[in-house]
Amino acid sequence: MDGALTTPLVETRLPVRAPLHPLTWTAWIAAIVAILTLTRNPVYLALTLATIVLVRWRCLAPVHAEDGGLTLSPLRFGLLVMTTAAIFNMAMVRVGTTVIFTLPGWIPLLGGAWTLEALVYGALNGLALAGLFAGFTVINRVVPVRALLRLTPRAFYPVAVVVSIAITFAPTTLQQIQQIREAQAVRGHRLRGVRSWLPLVVPLLEGGMERSLQLAEAMVARGFASGDEKVERWPQLLVLTGFVAVVAGWLLRLLWAQPVWGAALLIVGSAALLSGLWRAGRRHPHTVYRPDQWRWWDWLVIGGAALAACAYLLPLFERSAIFYYPYPTLIWPGFDWRIGLATLGLAAPAWT
Amino acid sequence: MIQLEHLTYTYPGAATPALKDVSLALPEGQLILLIGPSGAGKSTLLRCLNGLTPHFSGGAISGAVRVNGQDPVAATPRLLSQHVGFVFQDPEAQFVTDRVEDEIAFALENAAMTPAAMRVRVEETLDLLDLTPLRDRALKQLSGGERQRVAIAAALALRPSILVLDEPTSQLDPKSAEDVLNALVRLNHDLGLTVILAEHRLERVLPYVDSIIYLPDNGDPVLFDEARAVMSQVELAPPLVRVGKMLGWQPLPLTIKEGLRFSRRWLAEQRSHPDASLRRRRRFVRTGAPYIQARQVKVHYGGQPVLRGVDLDVWPGEIVVLMGRNGAGKTTLLRSLVGLVRPQAGEIRIDGKPNRGRDVADICRQVGYLPQDPNTLLFAESVGEELAVTLRNHGVESGDWRLEIERASDGASGRGEDNPHSSIAQSLHSPIPSLLRRLGLIDKANTYPRDLSVGERQRVALAAITVTQPGALLLDEPTRGLDYAAKRALEQLLHGWRDDGMAILVVTHDVELAAAIADRVILMSQGEIIAEGEPTEVMATSPLFAPQIAKLFPETGWLTADDVLGAS
Repeated sequence: MDGALTTPLVETRLPVRAPLHPLTWTAWIAAIVAILTLTRNPVYLALTLATIVLVRWRCLAPVHAEDGGLTLSPLRFGLLVMTTAAIFNMAMVRVGTTVIFTLPGWIPLLGGAWTLEALVYGALNGLALAGLFAGFTVINRVVPVRALLRLTPRAFYPVAVVVSIAITFAPTTLQQIQQIREAQAVRGHRLRGVRSWLPLVVPLLEGGMERSLQLAEAMVARGFASGDEKVERWPQLLVLTGFVAVVAGWLLRLLWAQPVWGAALLIVGSAALLSGLWRAGRRHPHTVYRPDQWRWWDWLVIGGAALAACAYLLPLFERSAIFYYPYPTLIWPGFDWRIGLATLGLAAPAWT
Repeated sequence: MIQLEHLTYTYPGAATPALKDVSLALPEGQLILLIGPSGAGKSTLLRCLNGLTPHFSGGAISGAVRVNGQDPVAATPRLLSQHVGFVFQDPEAQFVTDRVEDEIAFALENAAMTPAAMRVRVEETLDLLDLTPLRDRALKQLSGGERQRVAIAAALALRPSILVLDEPTSQLDPKSAEDVLNALVRLNHDLGLTVILAEHRLERVLPYVDSIIYLPDNGDPVLFDEARAVMSQVELAPPLVRVGKMLGWQPLPLTIKEGLRFSRRWLAEQRSHPDASLRRRRRFVRTGAPYIQARQVKVHYGGQPVLRGVDLDVWPGEIVVLMGRNGAGKTTLLRSLVGLVRPQAGEIRIDGKPNRGRDVADICRQVGYLPQDPNTLLFAESVGEELAVTLRNHGVESGDWRLEIERASDGASGRGEDNPHSSIAQSLHSPIPSLLRRLGLIDKANTYPRDLSVGERQRVALAAITVTQPGALLLDEPTRGLDYAAKRALEQLLHGWRDDGMAILVVTHDVELAAAIADRVILMSQGEIIAEGEPTEVMATSPLFAPQIAKLFPETGWLTADDVLGAS
């Protein structure tokens, strides 16, 4: 490259190993997703967000110089999403009794009463979105892609490797686009209209093809499963029937009110699915370098996440406050201290 | 032990075989160099050794291959990966993961080695290539040479007894290339690893190799012999060997140390002849104003200074070569000259006109710029069209080049026919055919550019940027992947343009190229120009940038084989 596309080299070492097992982090983010999609109660939302911020603060090293301008501060993003959602909701929804102001009715879409209730509900939706974003930025920073991919069943190992390559492929492709754009500019090319994209697309596709072929060769040369081995049919059949059974069981429970039969089908189907995957996975013998280790505090975090999720999902406590709804008239949200306490279980990663 | 018997291989859809009746028996534990003109099938031959050909590429193969008693054609590449490690040209294109350790472990994971054994093996492999300090680094943060060493480590993780490398240093600067070659030599000496290596820049590797395979492209039999024996039989030769052959030195020297024994005596003889004066290199005489003028150019990326106040002048009719380590700011300087980088301070003038406020396309009518990878330039469906596109971009009439080329070839075969359109064609005189003729591409005018060889593709790219007849030409690393013949062609081309009065600025790591073409050499380091002057002054004394001939005949001011042979 020779200084061509240099970004200042910051001595960032990749984490040798996530201190928590990737599976633990997956459970943690799953609980957050469940809670944030379920509740619109501002107190619970704020509490959840606070635990995420706490975990983020405790588990992430401060960032000095992140590469490129692609990073977005979750705080700024959160504020942006909240304001946008609030204004949009207020402009679109005409429900609610506390009128802030009224626009003349002849204005299409925007005309009518703008209410405080719509503003609040929009802001709460924005708050939930911001929470999701913050949660995923934490995951993105603590768990390397490779570690997440190791969680995929062995039957999908080739797929997982392909995905991990695609992820590393993307930045190179961006670099390539930049190079090609410059090379074309050098011969007097200016971007106008659709046809002028041709000089950029052709070298990009050709170059991309060449690189993929080279990579594929490099992988085969290092013994990546070449698929010459005998293929067993029945694990695939097992996976397929298992999947059909799971869907059927779910439909039975949901649509035709047959909880027992549905549950039975669900269990049998899942078993078939899992054993099929396990069986198929044995066809791709491979091991993992430095497998992630499971420690006692992984149980702690899983427990905390499970506790929080259960408090919201299961009918244990007073659930009406979870589904907070400001229409038609704004009321104070209810609060059950037991649910609030359970939510704090999400903060467990901060103490590991 | 590798044995090939009457190996013939044809790519799917190809009319002629890529390899024809190759028979070889390669002994164990040697460092073997594979040479040959580009397009002779070197890569294909290497890929036959681990079964990538034909398993990966398809096609028809006949004859027999045996590698450590295995048949790569019958066995899978997976099995062969235990016997043959493979390293490719571009270090970046072969990485599967993003971290050094993971990259080394990839092959072991595929082989289902137990985690405990894997830990030991990764540790050993890191030590083998001195990569321990880099073990948990991200691959994208490594230098080219470090990356290629990681690639070698990854290929050796399964402990193969044979290591095959396809031009592993062609993308590297001289220092990184040396690191990689030293690593290979050490592996060969310490472990008895058989190393088979394809390489264009023979001057780098010849001192280390035991024997050479020569793969010709014209159907002659394949040669395999001890290095000295092969070098005395083939055309391809670095300057030292060329001089040695012309002056009849026996046994043929392959290293500077061997060569010095002959050169000292020969030089003394020459000097004792009173009437034979030693030849001098041509000196460049400046006339008029410089075509390219840069004053106090400063560039920094994100607070890091890359250029710290560079002054540069290039006159019409001279070739200036810019050299220096990776990251010295050479490419950035070239890019600022054509406006791809906007300097934070300083002024750049092209033919007296300041660059400020002009866009890249506009500047590039006056200055042709050839980027490192010419492939990024090519997209049209024919060579001629590629040139016509540039003209159209600049709003210049390209004329009917197809008709002109046709008529030129008709005219050559049967002259005297009256053509009713001749007057029209005359008025639409296109610059395309004459440029293609000059670059030796006139027969390829209707070929798809990407089907051409590396050297030809580069010439098409050159044609595409010079068809507007710019007054200056900037080239970034133009000899990457070129064989000696293609390099010679490039040198002649540049000399021709120089003599027509073009101002040419070349950035290169290739010392021998610089010696052959430079009228003036500039050395850069850390964003500054640290030395400037005639090539004999700047290059001859520098340990890193001295060409072979300068080392062989110190104090004569000679840099190339032509300097020496012209003198005798």
